Amino acid sequence: MNGPILSSRRAHLKSMSSGFSYLAFAGLAAEAAAKKSSKGLFVRQPHFPARAKRVIFLCMKGGPSHVDTFDYKPELQKRNGEPWRGGSARLLASAQEFKQHGESGLRISSLFPNLAKNHADDLCVINSMHTDLPSHPQAYTQLHTGSFQFVRPSLGAWSLYGLGSSNQNLPGFVTLSPPSDMGGANNYGSAFLPAIYQGAKIGGGQLPALFSALTGKTEEPGPPMKNIDNPNVSRETQRAQIDLIAGLDRRKLDSDHHNPEIEGAIQSFELAYRMQDEIPDILDLKSEPESIRKLYGIGNGGEGDRFAKQCLLARRLAESGVRFVEVTAPTSWDHHSLLNDNLAKSSAITDQPIAALLTDLKKRGMLNDTLVVWSGEFGRTPYAQGLGDGRDHNNKGYSMWMAGGGVKGGYNHGATDDFGYKAIEKPVHIHDLHATILHLLGLDHEKLTYNYAGRDFRLTDVYGNVVRDVLA
Amino acid sequence: MRSQPRTWIGLVFLQFTEIAGADVQSDTAFFESNIRPHLVESCYKCHSVEAGKSKGGLLLDTKVGIRTGGDNGPAVVPGKIEESLLFAAISHAQPDLEMPPKKERLPDKVLLDFRKWIESGAPDPRTESTGKISTAPTDLESGRKFWAFQKPVAHPTPNSSKNKTWATSALDHFVFAKLDENGLVPSADAEPTVLLRRIHFDLVGLPPSLQDKADFLKAIEKMGLDSAFAERVGLLLASERYGERWGRHWLDVARFAESSGKESNFTFPEAWRYRDYVIDAFNNDVPFDRFVIEQLAGDLLTATNDAERARHLTATGYLAIGPLSLNAMSREQSLADIADEQINASTQAFMATTVACARCHDHKFDAISMEDYYAMVGIFRSSKTFFGTAVGPDNQLGGELIQLSKTLGLPVFYQPMKPEAVTKLKQDKVELIAKEKEAQAKAAQAVKEGKDPSEFFSLQMAIGNIWRKGAIDGKLALVDEKGNSNVMCMGVTEGEEIKNSPIYERGELATPRQSTVKRGFPKVVQLSNSPEIPEDESGRLQYADWLTHPDHPLTARVMANRVWKHLFRTGIVRTTDNFGFNGERPSHPELLDYLALQLVNEHQWSVKKLIRELVLSRTYRQASDYEEKAFLKDPENRLLWRMSKRRLDAEEIRDAMLFVAGDLDLERPAGSLIGRTGNRNAALLPFAKNIPADLDGSTARSVYLPVVRDRLPDVLELFDFAESSLVTGHRETTNVPMQALYFMNSRFVEERASSFASRIRNEIKGTDSLETEMEVAFRRCFNRLPDAEEKEIGLAFFKKTNGSDALKRYGQALLSTAMFRNLD
Repeated sequence: MNGPILSSRRAHLKSMSSGFSYLAFAGLAAEAAAKKSSKGLFVRQPHFPARAKRVIFLCMKGGPSHVDTFDYKPELQKRNGEPWRGGSARLLASAQEFKQHGESGLRISSLFPNLAKNHADDLCVINSMHTDLPSHPQAYTQLHTGSFQFVRPSLGAWSLYGLGSSNQNLPGFVTLSPPSDMGGANNYGSAFLPAIYQGAKIGGGQLPALFSALTGKTEEPGPPMKNIDNPNVSRETQRAQIDLIAGLDRRKLDSDHHNPEIEGAIQSFELAYRMQDEIPDILDLKSEPESIRKLYGIGNGGEGDRFAKQCLLARRLAESGVRFVEVTAPTSWDHHSLLNDNLAKSSAITDQPIAALLTDLKKRGMLNDTLVVWSGEFGRTPYAQGLGDGRDHNNKGYSMWMAGGGVKGGYNHGATDDFGYKAIEKPVHIHDLHATILHLLGLDHEKLTYNYAGRDFRLTDVYGNVVRDVLA
Repeated sequence: MRSQPRTWIGLVFLQFTEIAGADVQSDTAFFESNIRPHLVESCYKCHSVEAGKSKGGLLLDTKVGIRTGGDNGPAVVPGKIEESLLFAAISHAQPDLEMPPKKERLPDKVLLDFRKWIESGAPDPRTESTGKISTAPTDLESGRKFWAFQKPVAHPTPNSSKNKTWATSALDHFVFAKLDENGLVPSADAEPTVLLRRIHFDLVGLPPSLQDKADFLKAIEKMGLDSAFAERVGLLLASERYGERWGRHWLDVARFAESSGKESNFTFPEAWRYRDYVIDAFNNDVPFDRFVIEQLAGDLLTATNDAERARHLTATGYLAIGPLSLNAMSREQSLADIADEQINASTQAFMATTVACARCHDHKFDAISMEDYYAMVGIFRSSKTFFGTAVGPDNQLGGELIQLSKTLGLPVFYQPMKPEAVTKLKQDKVELIAKEKEAQAKAAQAVKEGKDPSEFFSLQMAIGNIWRKGAIDGKLALVDEKGNSNVMCMGVTEGEEIKNSPIYERGELATPRQSTVKRGFPKVVQLSNSPEIPEDESGRLQYADWLTHPDHPLTARVMANRVWKHLFRTGIVRTTDNFGFNGERPSHPELLDYLALQLVNEHQWSVKKLIRELVLSRTYRQASDYEEKAFLKDPENRLLWRMSKRRLDAEEIRDAMLFVAGDLDLERPAGSLIGRTGNRNAALLPFAKNIPADLDGSTARSVYLPVVRDRLPDVLELFDFAESSLVTGHRETTNVPMQALYFMNSRFVEERASSFASRIRNEIKGTDSLETEMEVAFRRCFNRLPDAEEKEIGLAFFKKTNGSDALKRYGQALLSTAMFRNLD
């Protein structure tokens, strides 16, 4: 009872009387049972060879302004202050500088100095994104599930359903501090897919900006993950309990042959037991060398510090075999007013950690088969709104980028019109983006189906074309 | 650990030999990821309905097609690799039959998958075709010929000479005939104690107590099993616990929840009234046809008193509790979406037909046209939905509630106000608006003068004002002019304007067609004297009459199938919420017809009587034991050669833990946690003082736990609760480590384990023997004593664990066993 609450796995393994042979066969049996009956997170073969084995999705909620970040519009710069389409709205030139970077000469605005300096040649920027509605919750839900109208499984859930996970000790789909509004759990839910494919939330949900302002808190209270620890019981007692449960369950199996539910249950207790150690280990960033912590910007303080930790954690999770990790940046890109101040804040929070994540993945040889996705739910208007120092929502044209896992680096795809208002060249819809991400994972979006209530459902419904131009 | 080597060998052995047929979910996953893609890629071009080709008479795109095969015989014989021509063809085993033709052989890995699939019984989730209809019957004429749209008819009860002693009811004869046809026989009866546990969970969702067991055994001795069992069934059906269990089944179908879900998730503080209405309706055995009418048109029924009127209005909550967009682009769009949701939910719930598929185009698989859909849109757009959420910055769609009589003593969770307070609030609002106008004017002036306007008026202030106004409106909605607390429910009434709807091209409001469609019902259903909708009525009442018309082909069938599903684990039509072309065909069509007719005629729509008939059958009484021959033939037990096993539902697991620990409070709590917390954004729930982190914190039955969309109590979320935004006739069952973590580490299980340990200590009163402790604990958990080996396993535990909480940890382990949460 008085032992360390989180004894390390190794120490614990040593302490077990039956030692290695038990582990060997517990492991084998676990795999066997997982394959057969625990409704499988086991690895499944993709439809065709995959370019990316995993996804890290950096979600920029609020809708970052593309004309201030990745979509350079000289015409807009020239015509600052002119009426937009003869109406009362005025064009608003970007205050940012758009230099060319890297060998590719990719244009990235001065908001992202680290990213521009180190990774211009890694980014595959799609400048011709568009989505159905210019309203946050709907667009955000569509970005995650393909549908703003119906409750549908999220991109992460579909990915996990298609591929399974290589680490049975961890959830296969993790979302770090997702917003609790904007569709909430819907955005990482499994809807009609079995619950095993839903995202596990680590960290309290991010509060809607409004409530955050009212309560002075940014995150829901509570532990990073539910039920991962029991302070009232030692590991030794828990081990004895699990042996007792397994013993009684096996006794039941003696007379109740072929009961996959019971076999599965025995295994899930073993897995849960290991998970208790594995997850806190992964969450513990102190084990990372100081150089890495510095690279990400841990210790810089404020929201940037928080995002740095999340990005580092994302890498650790990806490294441990988690199939799909989503990180929601703890900043809102919804800049209706004080555009330049707010852009500076949001980019300062995100630039260094994101650049560090790409550097770190590259160094570890993981960027080749890790697809990093950076996107908001839509972009912003080229004209000003309100008191003239903000931009409104724009779903007709915006930018996002991907890096690593099978996409071209230093590449711009598609284009908006001269002002950045509407995608006119090679437009890419959310469904197309989803089809492309699945394709990179080796999944054919038309074949990845699930039969629910008598109909075969797809992430892309009846739409979606793989954007072949971006494939490396 | 002692017996591990043996069982481990068993496990590995199972891995290679067992057919995981009972495991529909992983079968589906395997088929979808490893089999279907190759069939689509390599075979469908020449062998599918869609391609319009069936070379060699072979269709591979349906389960029936692949199993019946073509000119050369069956393509796949489940479990028999040598007889499966498909495998021979793709493995190029016969030179004259190499598939796909003129192409490389499929990779070995794929072949292995096909082998594995066929050997494991070729589980195939694809929808079946009846053989005759190979294309979807989407025109009226073929649609009306489709089995589900034809009236159920009485079939002669099969009577086999081989079945002299087994069958005790007509139902059994139908089941026996199918088994016999397939060379199978029914299983023996289950042990009385197994049967007792089964009937208790199935009817009331709780385990039998020690007393129940003693009474039952005594009754068997006295009057024999048949009478004792019938008596037990009667007792359980009469118990109020029955409505809490079967009401919950209906709440799944009714997509009941206490919040709007979707992007702006606002709570519905009055939704619980509908929940209680449903529980009471099941307990009072309100005939199902009446139940349908009350939910769709309770407001239009005549009531003899205020209480009945309140009940009728509360019933219409059914139409108001659906998922709701509070932030749609326009009010018109919101109203269109609400009507769509009502059509979708009600047609799926009552007739297992997906009418809402025809919003944007004619239904692709069933004979439902856009005209049918917009005929129903007219009905719901001519009605008004009361969902009652207060307007705020993140909710543009405020809504009212229906007022109920204040004299009935119905629970209310907000305090009355003094009349002066009401006046004050109204004044506050007027002042707030005036101040805002003034500030805006000042800000505008400042802009003109080139000064910073934010000092006078900023976005933050604007938001703050919406917030404050919303708060005042919210408070005012809770009381009448004199400050008395209003009593309100969610629901539906007739709309201010009764009108037909045009058809909207692609479902988009911007593109209405010129003419409108007369309000009405899908034409594929033909009734002898279909109710006409009067000009000045929405048509909801007629919709309900139409659904419950004795000639309606679906309503009774669908409900009988739902009841069957809960008692036999799988529906006769497995897709309980879709009887259309894309759903599955019934395993026992004649039996389903028989049950539908029984429900309407013999039982006069009494659900209790139907349940009684089903559980008193011999079929229900079968043991659930494994039987190899039958298993190989019918791994999914579609033919009912045994009782299927099931894992308990989330609610049963939680209730059983409370029950065993002696903590269960059977009193119905007034309202719900959400009702007591009021209308707010669900994102704020974690900050509400009275809301525990796991959204549980009570010892009442689980049916009374709060059901907030996308934010469920831990136990419900972990153990496969119904997705409350969808009509759910069948819940999935998963087996994941997160569930184990709940047993190991959650506050709820910790508390149960503590109570359980004290209860055991109290019962043995000082007898200091591990053996007695184990016996008492076992009896409480499993209603029997541990056998010698179970005792030994327990003693091994106590040898390792001897702290002061050893008994608690032992009890916690018993609550965590698979035995505890599975039913034979």
